[in-house]
Amino acid sequence: MLLDELKSVLSFAAFRPDADDPDVPWAKRFEGRKTLLINVSRTQTSWRGMGRKGKLDEGGLQDGDFADIAPQRAEEWRAMADGGWCMVSINHRFIISLESNLMRGENCVSLLRTNPRAVLGPKYDRGKRYAVCHHPETTTSLMLASEESMVKVTEDVLRTIGMRPARVCCGLFAMIENTMTHIHDERKGGNPSEFVLVAASEGSLAVVVQQDGQWSEVRCRSGLGQEAVETAVQIIGPLVSKISSGTPVFFVTDGQDPKFRNELMLHLEKLGAQDLTEEDLLWDLLIHH
Amino acid sequence: MSDFLCHDFKTPRTDTSRRLPSSFRMVPVAFYVALIGGAYFMTTDMMNYKRYEREKLEAELQKDDYDLSIAKTESEKSGLDEETMKAEAIAKWVEGARNVQPIGVYVARALGLESRITELSLERSEQVPANLSFSMRLLGGKMEELAKIESSLSRLNYQSLSPQQNKEEEVIEYRSTLVRRDY
Repeated sequence: MLLDELKSVLSFAAFRPDADDPDVPWAKRFEGRKTLLINVSRTQTSWRGMGRKGKLDEGGLQDGDFADIAPQRAEEWRAMADGGWCMVSINHRFIISLESNLMRGENCVSLLRTNPRAVLGPKYDRGKRYAVCHHPETTTSLMLASEESMVKVTEDVLRTIGMRPARVCCGLFAMIENTMTHIHDERKGGNPSEFVLVAASEGSLAVVVQQDGQWSEVRCRSGLGQEAVETAVQIIGPLVSKISSGTPVFFVTDGQDPKFRNELMLHLEKLGAQDLTEEDLLWDLLIHH
Repeated sequence: MSDFLCHDFKTPRTDTSRRLPSSFRMVPVAFYVALIGGAYFMTTDMMNYKRYEREKLEAELQKDDYDLSIAKTESEKSGLDEETMKAEAIAKWVEGARNVQPIGVYVARALGLESRITELSLERSEQVPANLSFSMRLLGGKMEELAKIESSLSRLNYQSLSPQQNKEEEVIEYRSTLVRRDY
């Protein structure tokens, strides 16, 4: 034990962030090491490797339940990750809701992980894991509530096949957080008073509407099936009908399903939607943040 | 890049310990600096040691050369000293025998070509320093030549007293006391 500690000090490992330190961006945690990124949806699982230089490597996609896919891909995944470290984006069995007057502060993010009741108060539900995205100018917040059982099962499945999850998140929510930050930074002077953001990732969809400078409505759906485009249009339609014409519409997807993206964009183009999608957006986002 | 950091709701680990403060990086840095410094000094010391050993060997070889040349010079010097001593002895003898040297010259001139002086001795008498005890051994000489020698010595104002001569085969032995006549 003492020898291990000495080795970690002399190799500077003791000063580097832990592999599962949530306060450090992924690429910085795994400098010079290969890791695996997994996006788990209801009917399919996609994965991508991150090379030792922090660049994206080859990946794959398989239809089916994650618990069935993982043992089949175990050997391949272990080879793609040094030490078995991986990141999981759980992209179903979650709810995104709009909350107001949530506690904000520097330690709230870590407190939400260790003691969510202290942050959420009566809104806390024992069987959920939470993440929040605060509006930069108002008191409203987007709150992600993911099934705790789903998180635990996913972690257990990965551990069973010799993988070590270092981060568990929701890719769709991360895309919304990132795009909101992006929109705010683009405007410099502050958020546009009205806009609609449509975000989609592997069968999950979320729509956030901002009116009068604050988030007014949010809708989300995970596990969209074969009729994903029609379902998405049905979700977006009622929300768009409430906003005034000329309101900017932003569309962002994970950049992995061009068919879904193009078909949905055909409908959104009628609203003058701006496509913010970039190639491998989800993976880049998860690596660099 | 914005300050946005992706959320994480992974089940927290309980076996983690706090990271060491960044200032503690000085500990391994100092360790490696000491290690590199030590290796550097050891290497340079070793190289210097080997160089000085080589130089020492060269110096010892040079010293041996010098010792050899000193011994040679001393041997030459002792030879010269010996020669000098001999020369000095001869010079002393020449200086000391200046007044009896004509005797040797006259004796030599009185001999024939076949005669060889194998031994010639002139010794002063302790009681009467003016007298000289003269002895000589001649090889291949004749008795007549002894008369010539006495005659030659008389020209140097020396008179032979009680001369004794003895001939054995080819060797003639002659002894006498030379007395200087002061007239």
